[in-house]
Amino acid sequence: MTNVIETTGLVKDFGKVRALDGLDLSVARGEVHGFLGPNGAGKTTTIRVLLGLLHADAGKATLLGGDPWNDAVALHRTIAYVPGDVELWPNLTGGEAIDLLGRLRGGLDMARRDEFVERFDLDPTKKGRTYSKGNRQKVALISALASDAELLLLDEPTAGLDPLMEAVFQEVIRDMKAEGRTVLLSSHILAQVEVLADRISIIRLGKVVESGTLKDLRHLTRTTFTVETARPADAISQLPGVFNYELTDGQARFDVDAEHVGLVVEALAALGVRAITSRPPTLEQLLLRHYGDEMTGHSGERAEVAR
Amino acid sequence: MTATAPARGGGTLAGTGSLVRLMLRRDRVKLPSWILGISLFWLYYTRLVPKAYPTRSDLDAIVSMMGGAAGRMWTGPTYFLDNMTYETFIPAAYGGYLILVIVLMSILLMVRHTRVEEQTGRAELVRASVVGRHAPLTAALMVALIANAAVAVLVALMMIADPVFSTGGSLLFAAGCFATGIAFAGLTAVIVQVAEYSRTATSLAAGLGLGGAFLIKGLGDMGHEHGTLLSWFSPMAWPQQTAPFVLDRWWPLAFSLAFAVVTIALGYALSARRDVGAGLIAPRAGRARAAGWLGTPIGLAWRLERRAILWWALGLGFLGMAMGAFAERAVPGEMPEALLQVLGGAENITAGYLAYMGIFMATIVAVYAVLAMQGLRAEEAGGRGEPVLASAVSRWSWLGASVLVGAAGVVIIMAVAGAATGLGAASALGDNSLIWDVTAAHLNHAPPVLVVLGVAALLFGLLPRATGAAWAVVVYGFMVGTFGALMELPDVAFDLSPFEHAARMPLEEFELAPIVVLLAVAGFLTVAGLVGFRRRDLDIT
Repeated sequence: MTNVIETTGLVKDFGKVRALDGLDLSVARGEVHGFLGPNGAGKTTTIRVLLGLLHADAGKATLLGGDPWNDAVALHRTIAYVPGDVELWPNLTGGEAIDLLGRLRGGLDMARRDEFVERFDLDPTKKGRTYSKGNRQKVALISALASDAELLLLDEPTAGLDPLMEAVFQEVIRDMKAEGRTVLLSSHILAQVEVLADRISIIRLGKVVESGTLKDLRHLTRTTFTVETARPADAISQLPGVFNYELTDGQARFDVDAEHVGLVVEALAALGVRAITSRPPTLEQLLLRHYGDEMTGHSGERAEVAR
Repeated sequence: MTATAPARGGGTLAGTGSLVRLMLRRDRVKLPSWILGISLFWLYYTRLVPKAYPTRSDLDAIVSMMGGAAGRMWTGPTYFLDNMTYETFIPAAYGGYLILVIVLMSILLMVRHTRVEEQTGRAELVRASVVGRHAPLTAALMVALIANAAVAVLVALMMIADPVFSTGGSLLFAAGCFATGIAFAGLTAVIVQVAEYSRTATSLAAGLGLGGAFLIKGLGDMGHEHGTLLSWFSPMAWPQQTAPFVLDRWWPLAFSLAFAVVTIALGYALSARRDVGAGLIAPRAGRARAAGWLGTPIGLAWRLERRAILWWALGLGFLGMAMGAFAERAVPGEMPEALLQVLGGAENITAGYLAYMGIFMATIVAVYAVLAMQGLRAEEAGGRGEPVLASAVSRWSWLGASVLVGAAGVVIIMAVAGAATGLGAASALGDNSLIWDVTAAHLNHAPPVLVVLGVAALLFGLLPRATGAAWAVVVYGFMVGTFGALMELPDVAFDLSPFEHAARMPLEEFELAPIVVLLAVAGFLTVAGLVGFRRRDLDIT
């Protein structure tokens, strides 16, 4: 499998602030790659470097075999991009913006365009200034998806979409994958990426800290349980893979490593469960657990780096 | 500067006092700047005129230019003709412009504190707290009242302190400023209910409201030296019809106050009939698909600029027509020496005047050129350039298309302004060949404007955040062009201004060499800007 995106040691400084600090990222052809990180970690900066909008201070980036800075225009014919904050021209309608951006990329499939306008339930006759954030995002998405681009760079594409539209989005991305396209999907919410991505790279403070399939990253995930049991649940705290056990007002609360969940559930059943909730870990929890010591003191400063 | 809340005990006015304080706090730099700026502007004119036209014959000469129909169109009724003094002349000649600026302050203030707040959603936050339905509008009107009162008091004090002006007339003149400011605050209170977007509201209030009132007054005043019935339909005419220092009549201000009362009442009535954030005119739907030509960088640049080009061409066409018609007044014997010098001497004063118009227009169109590049900078900073440059559009073609469309705009606006000036002059002097001559003269001054465009493009390419520094070239050119001859500046000061190189047609013959050099400079600057832009990061704020 060839890599569509390959960066090694990418560095980008904005004044005194280091936005990218030796970023290594590789995305294989035909995969949906989740690009996961908290706000301000450097996701948008990475994508802008890949688009040749920013020039990296050091390191090397290869995109579809070309150089993102020097071969920008040629590469862009085969790339579709959806920015995180979509800004539209106030006096152009959504329909005009879709067509304009599509044509500037080298043409778009009008049948698909109309299909997506329908599926995303967008009114294309409204002026750009009247759209909500979610609708502006739909405009950029439709324009990107209706192209025949090989590579889709999507920067938090569903941030403003309602759950119904997010479901449509997930469907469309699966179709894209079935057609053999490559998708780089950035997000700061693990659950959003989990359902779509074949592989995930986690970025923190301008570096990729974890990369692999979801299975590879299982060791990172730890589920939080809250249970109320008929018999005292203290024995649970002795099981392997159980952490942070707390008992308050008869409610037990603890974290379990993914590989030990089965065992814990069996043990709980024997105790007579009255109520149970389980919550997958958030990205923030996850990063905090693995890098907690380093993050304190840096995260605030990093978060200020504009995306 | 706080106002007491009139609505203790709640009701639709609850919270007005706090809102007034909030608005004054938010405007703590802007409003004092407006008030002081306007007052200083007036102080400058009242003190400058007696110095610039020191003798009686100077004054008579300038009045002979301003006393005609074209002059009245721009200044107002000429009640002072029977009793010509600085006291009667200055308010009549320049007072209209003072009021124009005051009205502009009122309009922007009202839109800023009503419609902008609703559009950004901040009004929702405010209205959700203990704030009555009518409180925001009331508070905005009270701030307008405070601002206009402050200007009026300063104007009155400055004039009373000046031995030239009598106290009674000064008070009347200041009251006219106040009443007109309030009248337009009232008009804006209506308009912000109607339009959903602040830009639409500002355009309607400033363009249709103020522009329309100025036009009606101008057309009305052209007809007779004391104005005609038509003049009375314009709120801008009422303060001038008080004829301060001549007739000193107060009653025309009753129209201004009645206008204010009616519009404010209408504003309240309309605001009670709509939801927060909504307007009374629904925004129009547009086309669902882009036109065939909207698919290239040039197409996009043209789409973004065409409306500005149209309005500039219309506005300067109108201005040119009036200034061209002025040409008949450009007679050597009747002109102050200072003015003669600017127009290039007495031998051929008409040609000199028309040649000067070309340079004058070029400096104004240079404003458009800088605004066009600042528009592109706004596209970049606002994040609208990013998706375009992420498509198959190179840096060169994005910036290049904008420069090209900007250059086309400059040529179009100069051609329209020139043709209109020529038309005005031709009809005033009865010489049709002037239409072509003056158009050609204006086009001859397009290359210096392109140099300004090039400077702005260079700044955009190298130091995007400093694109606005190109204003310095425009201001410098304007200063040298208007005061350079009077100040007897050295040649090098003139050479530094791009506007001083093209031949002064129709006074002089066309010269190719300076045009070639100017175009080469403009081209070089643009290419340097393109190279710089290709090498820098996109700067999105």
